[in-house]
Order: sequence, then C-alpha cells, then structure tokens
Amino acid sequence: MKRVLFSVLMLGMVMVACAGQPPVSVSDARIRWLPGDLPMAGYFVITSQAPGPLRLVGAASPDFGGVMLHRSVEEAGMARMVHVDGVDLTPGQSVAFAPGGYHLMLMNRTRDLHTGEDVPVTLQFGDGETLVVSFRVTGVQGE
Amino acid sequence: MTDAGVTAVRASGLRLGVLLLAGLLAACGQNEPPWELRNISGLMPTLDFTLTGASDGATVHGKDFRGKVVLLYFGYTHCPDVCPTTLALLSHAVKALGTSADQVRVLFVSVDPARDTLDQLKTYAAAFGPEIVGLRGSEAELKALTKRYRVSYGYGKPDASGAYEVSHSSAVYVFDREGEIRLLIGSTDSAAVITGDLQRLLAETTGASS
Repeated sequence: MKRVLFSVLMLGMVMVACAGQPPVSVSDARIRWLPGDLPMAGYFVITSQAPGPLRLVGAASPDFGGVMLHRSVEEAGMARMVHVDGVDLTPGQSVAFAPGGYHLMLMNRTRDLHTGEDVPVTLQFGDGETLVVSFRVTGVQGE
Repeated sequence: MTDAGVTAVRASGLRLGVLLLAGLLAACGQNEPPWELRNISGLMPTLDFTLTGASDGATVHGKDFRGKVVLLYFGYTHCPDVCPTTLALLSHAVKALGTSADQVRVLFVSVDPARDTLDQLKTYAAAFGPEIVGLRGSEAELKALTKRYRVSYGYGKPDASGAYEVSHSSAVYVFDREGEIRLLIGSTDSAAVITGDLQRLLAETTGASS
C-alpha cells in the first residue's frame, strides 16, 4: 500500500514537473538600454536543476518584435555576432549570458523602454516548456 | 694560470662589460616600466582622417585632436553586445580620470554609414557620455581611414527584414597628444588598466613620446 501511494505521489510530482515550469533558475537578468530602436542585448545567468540535459532554444517578449539567441565571437581581432540555435544546459552548471559572449538580441521594441523598468521575457526550452523571466532595463554603462 | 688563460679571462670580462653596458643603454633608451596595454609605438601612422562629426555635422580632421589623448574605435550602432560593451568600458575608464577626462576623446567611427545617420550616431554617442565622439564618413573617407590603420570590416547577408550583421575590428588604438600611435586596447583589458596607462600618457610632456 505504501509503495502504491509512493508511486502515485511520484507520478503526481512528475506530472506537475511536466505541466509546470522547467527546473531552472535564472539570475541577474538585465537588458542594456540603447537609444532609438536599436537592437539591445539581454544578459542573465541560467542554471539547470533538471535531472537530464535541457536545451534553451529561444526567447520572446511582448515588448519586442523579435528576440534571438546570439553569441559574439572574436577571431583574429575581428568581432562578429553569430546566431545560436540553442544552448545546452548541463544539470548543476551555470551558463552566463554575458557581454562579449552569449546574449539575447532584442529587436524592434514595441514601446518606449526606460532604465529601471522590468520587461518580461519568455525563455523557451527544447521540450516545449517555457519560463517567464523579468529583465531589468539598465543604463548603457550596465548600471 | 697561464698568460694565455689570463688573457682569455680578461677578454671575456671585457665582453661581459660591453654586454652589460649595451644592456644598460638599451634600458636607458626605454627608461620606463612597460605599459600595461600593448605597446604599438611607431607601428602605425599618426592620427589623420577626414570625417563628419555626428554632434554638429561639421567636417572633422585627425589633427583637430592634437593636444588630446585619442582612443580610436570602429563599430556600428546596430551592435547590441560588443560595441556598447567596449564603449561602456572606455567611457568608464576615461571618467575615472576625473578632472583629466576632458583631455581624452574616444572616437567612435561607424563602419556602417548606410544605417548610421549622423542623427543616429549623435544620439548613440551622447548616451555614453561627452567623451565619446561619433564620426561618420563617406565610403571613400572610411576606406582611407581603415586602410591607414589596417582595420577590416564586412557585412553579413541581410535577413528577411533587411537587417544585417557587421563584422569589425575589435581593437582600440590609443594615440598620444601629438597624434602618435602608442597603445592597443584589447577585449580583455580592464578599465583600471586602461585608466592607468591613460594617466601615464597624459602625464607625458610634449616631445617625450619617442
């Protein structure tokens, strides 16, 4: 009886996990403001607590016409951006989206944005799960 | 010891002395501790260009900046990550100079004049601070400047909306008050390191750059 109850409980937890948010934590989520309608970069640190591999495959925001996963690369003194299809998250390991590396490129803002306000960004994962994260708009100096 | 042996020792002592003297002279020639940033003195021509200033639309020449320490950087405004990161770093490093900050200018030259209008560049540069000078050139002016400093740039294929990426040199060139090339700032250099070397450059008296 106890075993059955335990199994039911486990099943319940698994179902909650499937239906809910992915087991990831996100910190230091911010968007560096730029003037006009220039594309801006979003930065954050993401850590997966999933038991197995998890893949971040995209992002979207109601405040932007488009959000893309990007990575800045420097080769032979040349800087350029490359589009990234996805970023694999290893359980327990943090991946930093940070200046000069991985970043979200947020394009075509749908409204005026100001330093200090929060913008919702939905992170999309390979298994179809999503997580809404609040990104703080910082000044150009990242302050 | 034989006479021949003594002579040999004396000869090698003399040689050592000459070597030491040469070493000392070489050290005197540099007479300064090494720079924190990469020293590229003499490796590039003096600061010279003709461009248009974004702040007022006036023609700007390289020699207009004689008397200031100049940081030269190439980028574009539709660059969400690397360009603002670099400009924020340079701006931070220059502001840390305090009252001397006014003696330094960061020249941000657009390698994407098709999208970077003067107005756009003006707003962009102003967002970082008064030490950032937005500059735009015609294709010929930009070509002349980038060729002079061996800076390369290129354009990616436009997407469905017409947006495109620009690859550009990540280097920042530092010129002294006389317009002579001195240092190279790389992407791993910290604001503190940059501020330190800028202080040294600012402290130099005219004619001490060689």
